[in-house]
Amino acid sequence: MAAHVDPLVVGMVIGDVVDLFVRTVAMSVRFGTKDLTNGCEIKPSMAAAAPAVQIAGRANDLFTLVMTDPDAPSPSEPTMRELIHWLVVNIPGGADPCQGETVMPYLGPCPPVGIHRYVLVVYQQKARFMAPPALAPGVEVEASRARFRNRAFADRHDLGLPVAAMYFNAQKELANRHRPPR
Amino acid sequence: MAAFPSASPSPAISASTWRMASPRAALPALRPSPGGRLRSSFAPAAAASVGCLGSFSGLAPVSNLLSLGAENSSFEHRLFGIDARGRIVAMRHGRRVPKLNRPPDQRKALLRGLTTQLLKHGRIKTTKPRAKAMRKYVEKMITLAKDGSLHKRRQALAFIYEKHIVHALFAEVADRYGDREGGYTRIIPTFPRRGDNAPMAYIELV
Repeated sequence: MAAHVDPLVVGMVIGDVVDLFVRTVAMSVRFGTKDLTNGCEIKPSMAAAAPAVQIAGRANDLFTLVMTDPDAPSPSEPTMRELIHWLVVNIPGGADPCQGETVMPYLGPCPPVGIHRYVLVVYQQKARFMAPPALAPGVEVEASRARFRNRAFADRHDLGLPVAAMYFNAQKELANRHRPPR
Repeated sequence: MAAFPSASPSPAISASTWRMASPRAALPALRPSPGGRLRSSFAPAAAASVGCLGSFSGLAPVSNLLSLGAENSSFEHRLFGIDARGRIVAMRHGRRVPKLNRPPDQRKALLRGLTTQLLKHGRIKTTKPRAKAMRKYVEKMITLAKDGSLHKRRQALAFIYEKHIVHALFAEVADRYGDREGGYTRIIPTFPRRGDNAPMAYIELV
């Protein structure tokens, strides 16, 4: 039974972050040498640099990539849901996000408490964004990464439902503690 | 640090309005789980061994088999258990308490520690049998908190290792789980652990 349910539904990404959608675009994400699958565990040190994201599609299509953390600051108390880590617009199909316009520079995962999910969502744009899109009405782009709402963002800029999504887990790495020999 | 949110969950989605049939229909079919294939490969082995047992009668051969069965079960994760009559069973019939390979005092301490950590962090990663064993105790704690009286609070304090977690739980459970009847946890299986290939799972508060 559980095998037939999409991992995005099981991991509550659909529901907390986005609405139910049909995946139409293939997306592959790679941190260094590790390819991402839904729900895999990534160390924050490995994810400190922006991943290599390949979005399939024709070169005429434009995509928006959003990476958020719906479990900030802690999964049992997500008061800062969601924390936006990365926002890139005007990515041509079949290319990297470096060919798009970065609205919010990449911030690596830094989960203080618990195991956080980090969700990458891709929307297809209907038209090119001329000015950097505002994250919230009347708020400067660089103001605050917290309390971002994917659905509100999509509605405000007429992006519709996402075309692809992926999530991974990360938790705080323990520094090597020298244990005294017993 | 408080373990529970004071904000109520987003009203846009409530889990009770979905049925699993619609995601299954809407989303592309995934590869079948490897668990299905594993189970089918075990079943013929179990049937063969139980069939051999059935043909034996008399005391001496049974005691031989008992010792063999005990060795097998300790070696292989208790695939075959022994019931009160000394017969080998491969299914979970009648097994109520997960023993977690520990004596009772250690088992209780392990479960107390795990529930404390889950209530503190909201989501933890542990082995699948431990996650499944934990559910009962986590939900019991949340039920005690829903009642909220002094006696229940003291019972919770006797179980959970950190008292600030108990106080935070009692303060915020009404907002978070007031409407939900049971089912306060969710288990999501994940990749096995590298050192010993133990099946791992995330357990989280819903």
